[in-house]
Amino acid sequence: MIRLNKVSKTYRTDKVETLAVKEVDLHVKRGEFVAMMGPSGCGKSTLLNLIGLLDRPGQGSIEVEGIPITRYRDRQVAKLRNSTFGFIFQSFHLIPDLRVIDNVELPLLYRSMPAGERRRLAREALEKVGLGARMDHFPNQLSGGQQQRVAIARAIVGQPQVLLADEPTGNLDSKMGAEVMDILLKLNAEGTTVVMVTHDEHEARRTSRIVRVFDGQLVA
Amino acid sequence: MLRNYLVTAWKVFMRRKLFTTINLLCIVLTLVVLMVVTSLLETAFRPSGVEGRSERFLQIVMMRMDSPDGSSVSTTPLGYKLIDKFLKPMPGVERVAAATLPSGAAVYQGERVSEMQMRRVDADYWKILDFRLLAGRLPTAADDAAGRMIAILNAATAKRLFPGAPAAAVGQHIDINGQNFEVAGVVEDAMHVNAFADVWAPISTFASSDYRNQLTGMFTTLILAESSADLPRIRRQVEAIAREVVHEDPKKWKTTRFWADSKLDLFARLTVGNDDTIDSGAGKLLAMIVAAMLVFMLLPALNLVNLNTGRIMDRRVEIGVRKAFGATSAQLAIQLVVENVLLCLAGGLIALAATAGLLAWLEHIQLIDYMRYDLNLAVFGWGMLIATVFGLLSGVLPAWKMSRLDPVHALKGAL
Repeated sequence: MIRLNKVSKTYRTDKVETLAVKEVDLHVKRGEFVAMMGPSGCGKSTLLNLIGLLDRPGQGSIEVEGIPITRYRDRQVAKLRNSTFGFIFQSFHLIPDLRVIDNVELPLLYRSMPAGERRRLAREALEKVGLGARMDHFPNQLSGGQQQRVAIARAIVGQPQVLLADEPTGNLDSKMGAEVMDILLKLNAEGTTVVMVTHDEHEARRTSRIVRVFDGQLVA
Repeated sequence: MLRNYLVTAWKVFMRRKLFTTINLLCIVLTLVVLMVVTSLLETAFRPSGVEGRSERFLQIVMMRMDSPDGSSVSTTPLGYKLIDKFLKPMPGVERVAAATLPSGAAVYQGERVSEMQMRRVDADYWKILDFRLLAGRLPTAADDAAGRMIAILNAATAKRLFPGAPAAAVGQHIDINGQNFEVAGVVEDAMHVNAFADVWAPISTFASSDYRNQLTGMFTTLILAESSADLPRIRRQVEAIAREVVHEDPKKWKTTRFWADSKLDLFARLTVGNDDTIDSGAGKLLAMIVAAMLVFMLLPALNLVNLNTGRIMDRRVEIGVRKAFGATSAQLAIQLVVENVLLCLAGGLIALAATAGLLAWLEHIQLIDYMRYDLNLAVFGWGMLIATVFGLLSGVLPAWKMSRLDPVHALKGAL
């Protein structure tokens, strides 16, 4: 599904050069649930951003469905992100001014789709995460767990093949974290490939594969 | 998509009310000034009111004479002889009118003396300009020929001298500079450059007939064409006529030049100082006005760019999220520009209302005598066009810059 070949990524500031990811080879198969673990600053999130095409590698190549995307232009990458990936962030990143339903609809705005169809799919996604009754609320009217479920609904509304979750339970208490984890497992069971960054060993053990990262390299 | 842009724009405006208010104030103040200026230009140069036929008349206000060695130049209004002998017989025109420039006149009423602006005009003047007659009648060629001592007052003057309805002034007698006139009619107040005066009398009422023999003097002329398409030909005819005019003292003034100008051309000629060529400099003047307006808009636009960049920076996480879910840089730039243009259009509508109020107030206080300010559809159109340009000017740069944010950094809230 997604293949990283000898991928490296270096961040440069005026004074410092940081090698965040070093010659990583990784293959995420269709239908897998991959947990990425490692200490803070080891490059997990960078790796996730590279997989999700939010960032471009300094060296190496990335293939999605066997197609190298290294030379893709901004417009092509945006289209691929829209059709293939769904993102879940630790801080939810919901747009505070928009109602829940409008937040969930957001990925569909960048597809040619009638407004009615967008609304129907957003409603279905919200019902899937158990928030069908909160469509007209604003994010700040919801609990952290509910906000993350809205974020999941937003990530799945476009029926992406891959869900990328960066510490999705990091800002939630254990009960809410477990609820979110259950939803992700359910989505994976329905066929969605999931790649998740986590610090939680217990959560990681519930996935199908654990990838450990240390100093920008895969260690297991 | 557009609905989403509108909803997002509204939410963004409401999120930072102070910011939005400052933005709007900046836009409104700039646009009010621009729209008042546009309205004044519109009133001054477009055919309207008493000068409703100005699209097919030309005027000659000044003539220029040069000495044989080119060391001396004299610029003066026309003399009646020049109009009567050279311009009135001109073929291919509907009519030619002569009128003096407005000059101060003392009007005596018993113990009271009023200072007024007076013109002496011929009968053709009343047929070229569309004065609205409120009472009495307008002078005719017969009045000119007979030298009848009649006067026409505008409404404000009639009311000042003879309180009551305009008709109350008709038939009354007034003493102007020692001459006795009977008020024959009252016309509506008019500010237009060729119409401006408080009182009019036939040319033939001058105390002396010397004016008939003078090539230079105190006159201007209006030439009414049968069609606006004839104006270029008439200009060339006038240029040729000017070459034929020989001054009474040809040793002192060898060449005489004058130009038949439209209202805009005349204004340009007086402003730019092109009195030695048929090109009035109107093109140059218009370019200068447009450039000045753009510079005037550029300064607040730069300020708005700054404000907008700040406002958009607050939304960098949102920009990161939108990019993560498939928005292209172009889509984001369009969204941000649309938001800014909407804000400017809202500012445009407020500015339009404010401009209408300001113009009504200016008209009420009569800052300029008899000035009427119209905020018509053309000004409205210009206003909204200006607002859109302003929105684009101040929105494109920050939108382009912010739309190119790297999504990873944007999601972290960094630049």
